[in-house]
Amino acid sequence: MEKMKIAFRLNGTKIEAEVAPETVLVDLLRDELGLKGTKVGCREGECGCCTVLLEGQPVNSCLLPALKVAGRSVTTIEGLTAENGKLQAIQQAFVDEGAVQCGFCTPGMIMNAKALLDQNPRPTEEEIKQALSGVLCRCTGYQKIVQAVKSAALATNTRP
Amino acid sequence: MDNKSEGKRETGVLIKEKVDLNIPLETSQKELQVVGKSINRTDAVLKVTGKLAYGDDYPEEGFLIGKILRSPFPHAQIRSISVEKARNLPGVAAVLTAADLPGRNGFGAILPDQPVICGDKVRFIGDGVALVAAETEAIAQQALELIEVDYNLLPAVFDPREAMKEGAPLIHEKGNLLSFNKLRKGEVNEGFSQADIILERTYQVPFLEHAYLEPDIIMAVPKNDGTMLVEGPLQAPFTVRRNIAAVLGLPVNRIQVRQIPMGGGFGGKEDSPIDLGCRAAVLAWHTGRPVRLALEREEVTLQTCKRHPMIMETKIGAKKDGTLTAFQGVIYDEQGAYASLGPVIPPAGGSHIHSMIMMPGPYEIPHVKVDAYLCYTNHPYGGAMRGFGAPQVHIAHEQMMDELAGVLGINPVDIRRKNAFKLGSTTATGQILDQSVGLRETLEACARTFQWDKRFGEAGYVDQEKTKRRGVGVGMGWYRTSIGTSGDACGANVYVHEDGSVLLFTGITEMGQGSYTVLPQICAEELGIEAEDVRYVQPDTDRVPESGPTVGSRSTTLMGNAIIQAARQVKETLLETASELLLVPVSKLAMKNRKIFDQDRPEKSLTFREVAAKSMALGRRLIGQGWWAPPPATLDPETGQGNPYFIYTYSTHMAEVEVDMETGEVTIKDYVAAFDVGKAINPKAVEGQIEGGVAMGLGYALMEEVALVDGLIQNLSLRNYLIPTVLDVPHIQSIILEESNPYGPFGAKGIGEMPNIPATPAILNAIAHACGGRVRSLPADPENVYLAIQEAGGVPKV
Repeated sequence: MEKMKIAFRLNGTKIEAEVAPETVLVDLLRDELGLKGTKVGCREGECGCCTVLLEGQPVNSCLLPALKVAGRSVTTIEGLTAENGKLQAIQQAFVDEGAVQCGFCTPGMIMNAKALLDQNPRPTEEEIKQALSGVLCRCTGYQKIVQAVKSAALATNTRP
Repeated sequence: MDNKSEGKRETGVLIKEKVDLNIPLETSQKELQVVGKSINRTDAVLKVTGKLAYGDDYPEEGFLIGKILRSPFPHAQIRSISVEKARNLPGVAAVLTAADLPGRNGFGAILPDQPVICGDKVRFIGDGVALVAAETEAIAQQALELIEVDYNLLPAVFDPREAMKEGAPLIHEKGNLLSFNKLRKGEVNEGFSQADIILERTYQVPFLEHAYLEPDIIMAVPKNDGTMLVEGPLQAPFTVRRNIAAVLGLPVNRIQVRQIPMGGGFGGKEDSPIDLGCRAAVLAWHTGRPVRLALEREEVTLQTCKRHPMIMETKIGAKKDGTLTAFQGVIYDEQGAYASLGPVIPPAGGSHIHSMIMMPGPYEIPHVKVDAYLCYTNHPYGGAMRGFGAPQVHIAHEQMMDELAGVLGINPVDIRRKNAFKLGSTTATGQILDQSVGLRETLEACARTFQWDKRFGEAGYVDQEKTKRRGVGVGMGWYRTSIGTSGDACGANVYVHEDGSVLLFTGITEMGQGSYTVLPQICAEELGIEAEDVRYVQPDTDRVPESGPTVGSRSTTLMGNAIIQAARQVKETLLETASELLLVPVSKLAMKNRKIFDQDRPEKSLTFREVAAKSMALGRRLIGQGWWAPPPATLDPETGQGNPYFIYTYSTHMAEVEVDMETGEVTIKDYVAAFDVGKAINPKAVEGQIEGGVAMGLGYALMEEVALVDGLIQNLSLRNYLIPTVLDVPHIQSIILEESNPYGPFGAKGIGEMPNIPATPAILNAIAHACGGRVRSLPADPENVYLAIQEAGGVPKV
């Protein structure tokens, strides 16, 4: 089918892309735009490794037609790190708490955690677990991931 | 080394001499600077920024896309195969059948019994019958559809007990019984005659999927000089290299295998990269072009190895006070279509013999008999999965201990106190445990923290409506730190540069477990520098010494020792140079905090960097090579007696569960797990292994099963192959104990596999305690728990 031109905001920058109707967002990001930080574990919305933010909300980019992002704002894991390499609180918390093992689910986990903390800066443990329940991790047992989100919330909330 | 069973060993003088030179390595646990610290992972920043490139993130330009045509039948002869149409499709570079192979048509981690491309017959649904390489994914897919295979269906067999019967369909020419192993200690009938009670139970476990989140991928790149470069996420680069060399008919030194970042392995990527590596290499060899062979999630489930299913018949004899007198076990271990990591590598390698050795559990039992049958079937095949045959048998012995305790009216913790290994205990293989045996300490620490005695008495309904019941369960375990073969050695190279920075070369791969952090910590400790001064070089068989596979919870201990040896060679140079510069004898010098100094007058010092630069300027050797092999493994093939593994990690887990008596649904409410790890090189990383392992054991207990009907997997995707989510896993309290291992670097033992092993039976025992019903055939999903409650006489009144 014919490709269509769309414009959207990617990690804060306005961009244009030509996409076919059957192209899903993760393929646009990875194959066309070269942003390979978003991972593909299952292509059916089960593992959550491909989570990106659409208008601040977490979505499985392996299921979302790329055309749907036209005129909207998309944030990927690459969009979190400052140009000087400085990590956001949630990324630093994942490093410090030992929430990373193989790292394949990490981008998806962090994007879900970021969406939560942006909307709810003081989440309860239950709220954290609900927010992360769409991402599978086979390595960590989740405990240090939940702890990292708690620590990031604390770090953000106590910042002067 | 004080080894009481030295006389039993059937090893020659040469090996003994070599071993005496190597062990024990003297490493002091005092005043450690880097080891024992929970430093952050060296790869964490790359991972949280999305910058670390996994295989699927590598550029695809110039690569052909490889695909595998798989058998839709579990057992069939290939009458003919027609590939002309596929070959003529524009954009197709190669369509290969068995006739096109350059060398050996077989691969395997232990036996090369799996065809690279099936020629005469197929043995499971997923067997490869043709390989395609094409310019694009779509063309490759289309080519697969154009290949015509004419099959003649054969009767199939899906049960190891059926496969052993006379007249069963023959899967491999040499017969369906791949291995029969025996363990004989004492006189088991004598033991049963001494017993006041004898209990017999059968337990059964299904195939399990690793479900690592990164699907498999391998890239093969033919080089101008006639070498073949193979890259991918893989646990066993040397095994992959060995197999590809034979399949291409090339010497080993013409195959270069490079490990790239790995999104989880759990044993599965010990085996699957052999399969994919051989196939990608054959396509690359044939086309002369780079080939990328990547699997989709469903293909991973269909094609790659699993945890072995088993039927375990157990019989146990005990005195009234709980003292064990005899244990008898029969294991029907289902290998599936190909040998993979199942069969025996003498004396004690391979998953099957490991199951046999571990089956009686970490208990002193005077009379033991185990018969272990490993059989081919027309199912997918069993390989290595976190615990390598041990998780299955722990499910048997730990449930058996609880069932026995229940019949005798003894507290499950007390019956373990009575029988658990302690220093000096003799195992079922006759091995005297003369070093680092912290099992009882884990039991007591766990019981104390969990408040076992109090909570054991609190079983019963938790709600007014009487729908949910609470219970607690205990599981104990032990696990080796080695692979039990004669080839279990590790090599390491340490290069110190003129600016004091260090390169560390080993063949140990990183799959998430943390070796790229822990091994530099060991190197840095030995050199008196910081872990960040040591860069771990990604394993590449062209650059690193042979190190064996990254399996068997062996990396930290075995490779740690090799690294220390390598570092000591460089240290010798550095101390010599420093001695000359400071005019202080070498014996008075110490290395710490990036300084080399006089111990008596610490102000008399030089930086590590200064000494490295001076040594380089003087043309002195700044390269060290370490080599460490554990004490030789022994096991008599007739009696199963010997010292199969040189040291063990021990553990006790306790769980509290709630069972919904109306639905059979189980919730884990609380969890404590204690481990004797010898020495935690990085406690945070050890906790990470514990928490992740417990979650995996929880999945085995409650939800995981590769469901098979007539040889076809019913749950190929993560939609219906369920693994635990964050909502399923309780808070896990880890207790780390350190009964120093004299053979380990700074006392360390392995931890990678141990945590998932006792978790499953601890949860199963808690379920039985809560609801009165026992699930003896896994998983304990709501349906099976509900049925177990009914079988036990329904819902208890109180």
